[in-house]
Amino acid sequence: MLDFKVVSAIFRKDMRVYLGNPTGYVFITLFIVVAQAVLILREEFFARGLADLATLNEWMSVILMIFVPALTMNAWADERRSGTDELLLTLPVRDGEVVLGKYLGILGMLTLSLLLTTIGQLSVLSVLGDPDKGLMFSTIAGYWLVGALFAAIGLMASMLTSNTTVAFILGVVGCLMLVLAGTLPWASGLVGVVLCTLVVMLVWYAARGTADWMGLVAAGSAALLGLLWLSRGIAMVTEQGEEAAAPSADGAVESSIGDRFSELFGSLSVTEHFTSFGEGVIRMGDVLYFAGGTALLLYLCAFLLGRRSW
Amino acid sequence: MGSEEDKTRPITIEAKELSKRYGNFAALTKVSFEVRMGTVAAFLGPNGAGKSTTMRILTGFLSPTSGKAKVLGLDPTHAEQRRELACKLGYLPESGPLYREMTPFESLGFFADVRAVPKPLEAIERVVERCSIGEVLHKPIYKLSKGFRQRVGMAQALLHDPDVLILDEPTSGLDPLQIRDVRGLIRELGKDKTILLSTHILQEVDAIADEVIMVSEGRVVFTGTVAGLRGDSTLEKRFYALAEAAKELGEAKKKADEKKEVA
Repeated sequence: MLDFKVVSAIFRKDMRVYLGNPTGYVFITLFIVVAQAVLILREEFFARGLADLATLNEWMSVILMIFVPALTMNAWADERRSGTDELLLTLPVRDGEVVLGKYLGILGMLTLSLLLTTIGQLSVLSVLGDPDKGLMFSTIAGYWLVGALFAAIGLMASMLTSNTTVAFILGVVGCLMLVLAGTLPWASGLVGVVLCTLVVMLVWYAARGTADWMGLVAAGSAALLGLLWLSRGIAMVTEQGEEAAAPSADGAVESSIGDRFSELFGSLSVTEHFTSFGEGVIRMGDVLYFAGGTALLLYLCAFLLGRRSW
Repeated sequence: MGSEEDKTRPITIEAKELSKRYGNFAALTKVSFEVRMGTVAAFLGPNGAGKSTTMRILTGFLSPTSGKAKVLGLDPTHAEQRRELACKLGYLPESGPLYREMTPFESLGFFADVRAVPKPLEAIERVVERCSIGEVLHKPIYKLSKGFRQRVGMAQALLHDPDVLILDEPTSGLDPLQIRDVRGLIRELGKDKTILLSTHILQEVDAIADEVIMVSEGRVVFTGTVAGLRGDSTLEKRFYALAEAAKELGEAKKKADEKKEVA
């Protein structure tokens, strides 16, 4: 089991490092300014005449896709570059405690940034109208979950290299794949292939009997994501069967198998799973998608950290 | 190694045929040695000899490609044993890496938290006094001189009062006065702890070590006392002779391997 005193010590150390130099404050300020600007400096915001975050929703994944890797790029790459990884990993700590502590540090900064942004947005929206508190809550919860997933991608990117620029680019590309999955077939396919590989790898790892309880949680998360995805796939195939049985007026099947597959892989898209949050609905399937994806990626981070000894 | 009386003391650090390869490059080749309890052992060798790699294996940061290591009877490659060992081991990595944005006080507080040191403030006070870092305790580490940073590194290694200390070039980059202080501290600590320190400075070996393990080209070329290493020559001459011999042996082996590959 993890020792949460160790996790807490690493979390507090990282928060101190983030807030102990100007970079942390620059990050928070820029995040607030950009999020605020995207919300209110657009014509649609005033044209719609509604005090909500709808104009920000379509852009928030893109904002987080750039800001979160900027926050995570130093998380492990910097430890490795400065040699403090050697110090940290020769303390009485487990790899999982290090990963979780560092992840919570990133999440702490992200939560602080989102909290301050929300205060600003709520103030503006309250002046302009009467914002729906429930809708605001679900939307912010959606932003937080997207950010949490991106933070896990960014942390993993940071563990792959000691170069912070490369870590940033890898993080952005990783997040971009999940954003594009719903729109571009090749991105959807790539994300699907990566997920399938991870599931196979974790199942193989668990089957060898070498997985610890964290490995089992990760394998469970991967399997859960796989099941969610599969259930959607079965629904699509059934739907396609019905469509094939009842062709349209000109006798052609409405969509090809290729399109269906693209749609199936597209169901891994962050944007698709965020949509309901932006409409004020918190669906269990969406929460599981974000939580499962994050747990899976954090396990892979611990797995990568363990590889230093191989 | 050492006198008859020394041989009755239990073995604290043990390396058995440790090898470490990075692709085709052999960083260590069958390195074997023992360090007994209460000994200050110098791990001597030229730069790139494999000293840091060995120390990283002994602390569990790296795993050997083959061979076994044991410190206090615990296997550093085994996850749970490594954690148990880390509680009893103080380690100063090469060039004393530290969290630059933190102050020494914050940094020591963090290490005390992770190590679950009982009465952390008292422990910090003790190491601050022992390593003479009181005057810089609340200054950010990036503003400290190399000497003070090295002392903060020593303080974190001593914080939990470990039984064994592994110090990777503890006097590297220090001025003569600082070197004298650190050597004095190591001598004092050596009275009740087992210490393995790596160095390429011969005066250091002469000044503080009870025993010497000399490595060159990833191989152990000498184990014994300082007097044994010196023989009827000087430490310097013996060091060069052993290092040269190891280099020639390494080159001959490399050529033989190349010939084998061609054949």
